[in-house]
Amino acid sequence: MATPLVSTPVKTHHGIFSTKMAGGRMPLTPSPRGRRDSVASNNSSPFTPPRHDSETAKEHVRSVYGGNLSSYFAKSVSRTSRAYRESPKSNIARVRKSPKHLELGASDWSLTGTGPSSTQSPSKERLRKEIPGRTRVGKTTVRIAHNAGDRFIPNRSASEGLVTSGAAKPEENQRPKTSGGDGSSVLASAASAFDIGGRGTDEDLTAALENLGLEDDESSSSYTKPAPDAVAYESSLANACGVNLNTRILAFKPPPPESSKPIDLRAQYNRPLKTAKSQSAQFRRRVQTAPERVLDAPGLLDDYYLNLLDWSSGNQVAIGLERSVYVWSADSGSVSCLLETSPDTYISSVKWSGDGAYVGVGLGTGEVQIWDVEEGTKLRSMYGHESRVGVMGWSKHTLSTGARSGLVFNHDVRIAQHKVAELVSHTSEVCGLEWRSDGAQLATGGNDNLVNIWDARSLSAPKFTKTNHRAAVKALSWCPWQLNLLATGGGSYDRHIHFWNTTTGARTNSIDTGSQVTSLRWSNHYREIVSSSGFPDNSLSIWSYPTLVRNVEIPAHETRVLHSCLSPDGQLLATAAADESLKFWKIFERKPGTSASASREGGVGSKAQMTKSMTIR
Amino acid sequence: MSAPKEKSKVHKLSLKGSSKLVAEFFEYSINSILFQRGVYPPEDFTTVKKYGLNMLVTADDQVKAYIKKIMSQLNKWMLGGKISKLVVVITDKESEEHVERWQFDVQIHGKHTKVLSSRKTADKENDAPGAPEPQAAGTVEKTEKEIQDEIQAIFRQITASVTFLPVLDGDCTFNVLVYADADSEVPVEWGDSDAKEIKDAEKVQLRSFSTNNHRVETMVSYRLAN
Repeated sequence: MATPLVSTPVKTHHGIFSTKMAGGRMPLTPSPRGRRDSVASNNSSPFTPPRHDSETAKEHVRSVYGGNLSSYFAKSVSRTSRAYRESPKSNIARVRKSPKHLELGASDWSLTGTGPSSTQSPSKERLRKEIPGRTRVGKTTVRIAHNAGDRFIPNRSASEGLVTSGAAKPEENQRPKTSGGDGSSVLASAASAFDIGGRGTDEDLTAALENLGLEDDESSSSYTKPAPDAVAYESSLANACGVNLNTRILAFKPPPPESSKPIDLRAQYNRPLKTAKSQSAQFRRRVQTAPERVLDAPGLLDDYYLNLLDWSSGNQVAIGLERSVYVWSADSGSVSCLLETSPDTYISSVKWSGDGAYVGVGLGTGEVQIWDVEEGTKLRSMYGHESRVGVMGWSKHTLSTGARSGLVFNHDVRIAQHKVAELVSHTSEVCGLEWRSDGAQLATGGNDNLVNIWDARSLSAPKFTKTNHRAAVKALSWCPWQLNLLATGGGSYDRHIHFWNTTTGARTNSIDTGSQVTSLRWSNHYREIVSSSGFPDNSLSIWSYPTLVRNVEIPAHETRVLHSCLSPDGQLLATAAADESLKFWKIFERKPGTSASASREGGVGSKAQMTKSMTIR
Repeated sequence: MSAPKEKSKVHKLSLKGSSKLVAEFFEYSINSILFQRGVYPPEDFTTVKKYGLNMLVTADDQVKAYIKKIMSQLNKWMLGGKISKLVVVITDKESEEHVERWQFDVQIHGKHTKVLSSRKTADKENDAPGAPEPQAAGTVEKTEKEIQDEIQAIFRQITASVTFLPVLDGDCTFNVLVYADADSEVPVEWGDSDAKEIKDAEKVQLRSFSTNNHRVETMVSYRLAN
């Protein structure tokens, strides 16, 4: 028997002398037992120990063999065949005991080993590690792999371990039985850990295997192992709680921005997915582009810096034509001449008081007169300015006047000492002046390209001074639905409309109109603003706000549009131009359904309703 | 030993593109959900052509910035393969009850095959010696078109889901959660949270899509009307 075994090519292949030798010897002694043991598959220990013990020098090597053989025996009943296969197994045997070997990269080998190898003497372990590296290569390995593969499955190997340890006991064991037991229990626990933590990642796997390996080694080298039980417990606990230990739930903590308005989903579901543009086209309102009425305005001065047109709340239009102020009643269509100045001067500005009963008239001399229109009589004259008063604005009983000098005076028209405030900021002619509807702020624009926003409570200095315009600012308009929104338009070199938040002083929007902006008027009931322009367009433009889309452009006059004003119902715009005509445009025509009061006072409300209906469809 | 290293390198490169694609998908998903579920008014959204569909994305600067912040971090995590789930939770503002929960499960094939492969190598012992590496044969290349079609199908489903999802009454707000690996780097804006699950929720699994490296499954859970 022995001889044929030795001669087998396989062994020689491995090239470890000692192993060969061992292989040759081994079969002889163990063979009888080998059969008996066959049930307990790989018990190398039983036979080997006695012999090897005696031969101290080679002990480890042999013992290894013994392991191989035994395992081999278990499977192959016939010796001859055994001899043939034997050699490969011998290699395996060493490796297999400690799962650690997996990590070493000799996984094939180590895997097979678990059960039996562990029973052998601790000293071998080191050897095992080294040996597999050498022996690894060769065809023989392939076969071995078979067995190894079978065993590797954790459950099985664990159970095997149990079996072997049990089997080992009765026979002579060099190494402490407990270690064998340990190993198996570890295996078992690890296996259960796998099963429990079904998701176990590969890290789990390796970690578990590591534990196993350590456990095994424990007998030889003192190692502190992470308790495998604990691992198993943790993972089972985690599993029970439905929590994955390896992940954490993170939330993006900052609160999401507030929705700008409540949403009714039901409406939304009916909405076709259409671009905003096509929608606006579909729902763009039609604007009459022909004037409603044209009046002659002979002698209208072609001066950008004057403000000669105003429409009262009593539905009367006042216009200054050279030295006269005419009042046209929009209700009756009748015209009357309110006043005529002395020949040495001219009318530079007209402005109705809020109640529509009085008109303020600024003269080229700097004099400001207040006239009772009903009576056709002058109530008073106020002096103070030394240059022409190009612009005026009422806030209740206060009349603000801006002059060519750049000074703005506030007059309390009720008292004798009428001048109550002097607003000093502009360095050049003031040509735009507008009180906010609540009287809390005053905006002024001048030929010095500045826009000043004044707080009515502290008029010593402007609250904000805006320098963005690059030309004189005549066009000023406060938004009727958003009190702190001011629109300002610049002259021919600037051509821009700027929108300001007058609370913060921030510029919120801008439009390049392409031509001199001579006036701006917000619509009361559309979210739109109309601008009149000078050279080169001489047109009216209606802009949507805040989209700033130009809805329509109306070629209005033959020469530049100098002044504009809205009718009290907000539907009509009157424009006066240097072509000496006064035209009325129905640009903000109210829809038939809405009542006059709704459109005037609840302008914003009706507006919102309209946009909503647009959204729904 | 060198073979797997090389593989991981190649893998990483394609993973980058795939992560980007998945992150982008998340971004559009969040936008779509915000629109479809009325978290923000429809006027705040504009349409964008994407995935062969008209996708609605928010035009509100604040919301845009908010989502952008989320996405920038998400991109990092995606690249690192740290994320296993992304969740959009819609919460009633008044009752603070979670009313709807959109969950996107992310599987990274890379990780997946790693686990597999370690098992495979063990099992390989049983294979015939000449058997090809299972890993190599594992992934079938998908064309961009196929992926896009899958994503498109998901968005169609999300859009269509409004037909069976209960109408959300009252003002709602939303939160974004991610399930990240425990070892992920977490910036200050992100903090641990509970899962914000919905009590007695009805769950509906929607379609999924996969790239060469990721698989994303979509699920919506919502509170059942009484």
